[in-house]
Amino acid sequence: MKKRNLIVEAIACAVVIFLFLAPLCRLVLMSFTQGSGFGAANYAKLFQEPRTLRAIGNTIVIALAATVLSTVLGTLFAFLIAYLNIKRKKLLELLVLAPFIIPSYVITISWTSTFSRNGVMNRLMHLFHLPAVNLYSIGGIIFILGICNIPLVYLTTVNMLRKIPRDLEWAARASGCSRWGTLLRIDLVQAAPAIIGGSVLAFLACIDNFAVPAFLGIPASVPVLSTYIYEKAIGFGPESFALASALSVVLGIVAVSGSLGISSFARKSKKGDSIRADFSERVFLSRRTRRWVEWGGIAVFSVLDLVPLLTMTAASFQNLYGQRFSLKNLSLENYQFLFTNRGVMNAVSNSLFLSLITCAVCILVGTAAAYAKSHGTGPAVRLLESCASLTYAIPGIVLALSMIFHWSVIPGVYGSIRILIIAYVTRYLILQIKGSSAAMLSIHPSLEEAAHVSGSGRIRMWKKILTPLLFRQTISSSLLIFVSSLTEMTLSSILAAAGTKTIGLSVFNFQQSGDYNIAYAFSVLIVILILCGYTLVQFVCREPSKNRDSAHQRSAGALRPHQSELSHKMEGTIS
Amino acid sequence: MSLKISNVSKMYGANIALSNVFIEIKDGEFVCILGPSGCGKTTLLRLVGGFERPSQGLIYSGDTLYSSPDRCVPVERRNLGMVFQSFALWPNMTVRQHAEFPLLQKKYAGIDASKKKSLISQTLESVGLSALANRYPDELSGGQKQRVALARAIITKPQILLMDEPLSALDAELKISMRKEIQDIHRMTGATILYVTHDQSEALAMADRIMIMRNGEVEQAGTPEEIYLHPRTPFAASFVGKYNLLRGIWDHDLFYEESSNLCFQGQMIEPELKKMGLFPVRPDEFQIQKHGNGIPAKIKNRQYCGREIHYSVESSGRLITVYAPVRESYKLNESIVLIKKDGMN
Repeated sequence: MKKRNLIVEAIACAVVIFLFLAPLCRLVLMSFTQGSGFGAANYAKLFQEPRTLRAIGNTIVIALAATVLSTVLGTLFAFLIAYLNIKRKKLLELLVLAPFIIPSYVITISWTSTFSRNGVMNRLMHLFHLPAVNLYSIGGIIFILGICNIPLVYLTTVNMLRKIPRDLEWAARASGCSRWGTLLRIDLVQAAPAIIGGSVLAFLACIDNFAVPAFLGIPASVPVLSTYIYEKAIGFGPESFALASALSVVLGIVAVSGSLGISSFARKSKKGDSIRADFSERVFLSRRTRRWVEWGGIAVFSVLDLVPLLTMTAASFQNLYGQRFSLKNLSLENYQFLFTNRGVMNAVSNSLFLSLITCAVCILVGTAAAYAKSHGTGPAVRLLESCASLTYAIPGIVLALSMIFHWSVIPGVYGSIRILIIAYVTRYLILQIKGSSAAMLSIHPSLEEAAHVSGSGRIRMWKKILTPLLFRQTISSSLLIFVSSLTEMTLSSILAAAGTKTIGLSVFNFQQSGDYNIAYAFSVLIVILILCGYTLVQFVCREPSKNRDSAHQRSAGALRPHQSELSHKMEGTIS
Repeated sequence: MSLKISNVSKMYGANIALSNVFIEIKDGEFVCILGPSGCGKTTLLRLVGGFERPSQGLIYSGDTLYSSPDRCVPVERRNLGMVFQSFALWPNMTVRQHAEFPLLQKKYAGIDASKKKSLISQTLESVGLSALANRYPDELSGGQKQRVALARAIITKPQILLMDEPLSALDAELKISMRKEIQDIHRMTGATILYVTHDQSEALAMADRIMIMRNGEVEQAGTPEEIYLHPRTPFAASFVGKYNLLRGIWDHDLFYEESSNLCFQGQMIEPELKKMGLFPVRPDEFQIQKHGNGIPAKIKNRQYCGREIHYSVESSGRLITVYAPVRESYKLNESIVLIKKDGMN
């Protein structure tokens, strides 16, 4: 290697370590700091507090129960959609995946609107002499987290189920195994690694999630680790930061070891990867049963997704909270407030600015990294990739805390919008690296060589060959980054200052201060914003349809953009 | 068990995959379904297996109705074994577990464990896998994998064995040696075998009877000798025997070739071909000479194959394939005449 390259590599490595690793190291150091010396006293003190133990216990119970819920529903619907001869699969899949696009705090808010004390559902429950449902409880958190993570299990499982060759089933049938026996003994066993992988992802997402326990658990004083860290971090006191960092280390270790667990698991069951997915139907139901299953599935998910969104929308047009919905109380007051309040408008423009900048930086850095990776250059890229995976795998609240410790030392970063940009890029970069790498893989090196041979320079090659070929896949994978940073709440809840509030944080504040109807209206706006974003990207990334064949493929793959994003997301967590 | 496939058709929407297929297969017979890809041969096998339902027609095994448009005995109750092109081994099971799997079904619950165990080792022995019993599929070579699939298919001694291009995924040499093993299994089990392939040499080598299919229809069914020596359709002629089809005029048993007006004797030629004005000649039935009374032609391509040389020669705009012994060598673009050897037909 040339000397100049060596220096470039060294500088790149140093930058990566400074941006990605140093904050985490500082967090670990902080957790061992007490007064002026070092020691494990912070940990000792933490574990003496009964509230810590309760938070740990709650976290585990909630995460496990929610994982069971999302695993059961995710696997069931993956099976229905992959194998059954039901119709309206696209609609059903859209409904199953909806919680993946909509941020978890919007889902939480919509459910609280449905189950508000005088809400539709609770009146209905009363009618049937059932006790009222209180979502502000452990059960409520479990339920919402379970719904939010269904897509994680669903997507890993549905792809695996489709990749199981039909021959394997037929061989079992020919060996005398019945159809349902085959599903149980062949398909379920083959899909088990994917189901387990998906449920571990769901478990990690539960641990990571801050919004749901913050919205439901803080009012009910049900602490979990992520909200407990938040309380400690924003609480005043001489040791609060040290204690929060000690807790963060505990949570971070749980999350990272979980991720490592899946990655070793994923490596073991890598074999199925090259097999093409088979979209044909495998289990044929009679017309009647098929109808039942079809509409039953749609009904379940309509209740899970649409009903809360609708009640929330209805409530957002009411000027009084907790009243029975009536046309008399209909008003646009809440929306008027949103559109005239400077703080709100400021938050929206902050979030839009943040997500655009994050996307732009991620696309540039991520694509460059993917290009360097595919051309097998030095260790800096590999270091970047593993560090970026690490900052994605650890819970957001932990990353936020480490950002504070690291960047407050450098003047002009903490307290301005810069720290949010840095935090978002650190958090989401891996998604773009994965997305761009996948896009790069589809470009054979010979295409580039051909461009060189036919006399193209580097710039022209990028302009004429690589950019057009990479464009669609890159954009569709940066969509996830865009939506995630637009609706981000965990990082900004700790890192945002007075002038740099984001959308997520504003909703959180409205909810905390009891302005429920405004929070509803804001959430409705967020959903509309997301839908517009998705439609736009679908439009930009639509496949040019040349003949009926590709048109057919497109219709089958209408949901492919976010499927591929999700797989990046998972790979991001895994590796 | 004998099989009767009676006027079976299969439609996928408007696509006709099989149309009006009829064949009776005797107990213990080895029947090859031969045809190019997309001819419907695999569809036919799946219908017999019960993986799909016919749109029309009936399938009987012995006297039992297996398939009709409205009734379909489930696969698992058909008492058959199946071998797939892709091997279809379960990646999480060892060789022994594969052989054991069919015996785990309720039907065999009455057989005691030691008997099952000896049956398993016997079967593994018969396909030569005793030493590999504890291996997983990804630790086996292609040939070994297909032996596992064979063991799994024959362990319950099914009366019908379905084989869907079992040798296509193997390399050339292994194909030849596995043919023998499949023949051994046929003799050993006495099962009726329905074997799908696109490889005519495989069909000729192993089958008691060959059924040639094309575009969902049966072109010709008969013993390998009948198919090879007496093709009844142009497709059967060119697909199996690689026949060249000369054009000309038939006068009873005499054929006048159109470009040279030579006359050939053709008592054995099938009437269907006669009607079309065709005369089939296999590549090895021609002899190349520099001069003489034959069909004038020009050498267009030659491929040296060791035992013989394959020539493509052009005669009045059409290409004819000729296999000639190595001692006669001709150059490209050389003008020659083709003379038909006597005594074959």
